Amino acid sequence: MFDNYRNKFIPLILPICLIIFWYLITEGLGIVNPYILPGPITVCQSAWELIMNGKLLTNTLDTLYKVFGGLILASIVAIPLGILLGWYKTLEDIASLVISVLRPIPPVAWIPFSILWFGIGMVPAVFIIFMGCVFPILVYTIDGVKRTDKVLIESAQTLGASDWNVLKRVILPSAVPYIVSGLKVGIGIALMCTISAEMVGSSSGLGYMILTATSLFDPGTTVVGMLDIGIIGIAFDYVFTKAQDRIFW
Amino acid sequence: MSIEIKNINKSFESKKTDKLSVLEDINLTINDGELICLLGPSGCGKTTLLRLIAGLDQPTSGEIIANGEKVVKPSGDRAVIFQQYSLFPWLTVLQNVTFGLEMTKNVPKEENIAAAERYLTSVGLIDFKDSYPHELSGGMKQRVAIIRSLLNHSPILLMDEPFSALDMQNRHKLQEQLIGVWKRFENTIVFVTHDVDEAVFLADKIVILDKNPGRIAEIIEVNIERIRKRDSPEFIALQESIVEKLDMGD
Repeated sequence: MFDNYRNKFIPLILPICLIIFWYLITEGLGIVNPYILPGPITVCQSAWELIMNGKLLTNTLDTLYKVFGGLILASIVAIPLGILLGWYKTLEDIASLVISVLRPIPPVAWIPFSILWFGIGMVPAVFIIFMGCVFPILVYTIDGVKRTDKVLIESAQTLGASDWNVLKRVILPSAVPYIVSGLKVGIGIALMCTISAEMVGSSSGLGYMILTATSLFDPGTTVVGMLDIGIIGIAFDYVFTKAQDRIFW
Repeated sequence: MSIEIKNINKSFESKKTDKLSVLEDINLTINDGELICLLGPSGCGKTTLLRLIAGLDQPTSGEIIANGEKVVKPSGDRAVIFQQYSLFPWLTVLQNVTFGLEMTKNVPKEENIAAAERYLTSVGLIDFKDSYPHELSGGMKQRVAIIRSLLNHSPILLMDEPFSALDMQNRHKLQEQLIGVWKRFENTIVFVTHDVDEAVFLADKIVILDKNPGRIAEIIEVNIERIRKRDSPEFIALQESIVEKLDMGD
């Protein structure tokens, strides 16, 4: 029991030290100018203000809508396509060069076209997120399908399963853990893309909040925005890790 | 269901060697309800022959006729029990066992489950019906795999060293259960093994295969009364004569 208590405490030591150090160099001893780096008290005041006037919630929800929109669209395209490409070698050969060339392009490189094609607002951001997470999900799905244990496919066939049933009842469930890993990677990328997209072609969301705060000399709000993104990241990570624990056998 | 194996040749092509001939001129008739053991050293092509009968691979030449039809692809009539564990890890024991029934038959679900529970009870696995495969021991997994094929009413069971990963005690127990099942359901069984003791214990006929290339060296009929006793003189004599033959082949 004591061990358990200690294990939960250990991860907190470093953050507490960092906050104390942060306080000391800023508001405590005044070594760093508050416009270069705001202190923890300023950040807490900004956070309180943003919570009370509802801006934090609105912008967080706005960002989350875009993340989920892009992620869901990417899943709708990438999962069925991945199953198809993983199953039919010829199709994969046909598509592989195009995928290999498009995949390393950073999603933010699509920003100029996204603004050109979709203007400003929700749609271009969703498009960039889509471009960011479609490839990891696709590649993980293809991999999951290909890694299906051959003996399971052959068992199903000798139990009388048709090709369709082999796909639906064997290959798909066996690829699910890989697909979940792909979604986990995808959501991390989606979060990064959203912030970048909001900084360029948007008038709402956490990225927009961070950028406008900086130009209004409100560094407290900038830090609140950054921490908020970090917390969203942890939350997603927690949910997906829990999901994986349940799925991996 | 009988199986006729006619002039089967199987060779694999690889880039390094020219052509590797695995099976040459295999001719064999397996009668309905017979329990045949394919016995031979590793590399003699016994697993390859089993996969050809299953329809999982195609012969280079020759043909296999099962129940009057040429084998061209896998079918629910010829279930394979693999050496590796082959249960679906995302399904419970009960769901694994009813998998084949859901594929082929139009029997209502409740009847399938009732039948599955009856079978699981008969091999002492009913308490594990809601367990997942990773919670079972090796012997239990293979018993579930056998039940899965039996419940599917596959008239032909093709077994590829299914007990080789088990300890001796479990192996002997499962061999006895297999004989019990076979007597009750009268399946045709082709059982691949490299274990002389296992072949003598199980088989109506032992087909000894040579290697390089794989050919039928000899077919031995075993006429010892079942359940066979391993310490009976006739069992020991037959076992020794087969071991001698295998040694000469090497």
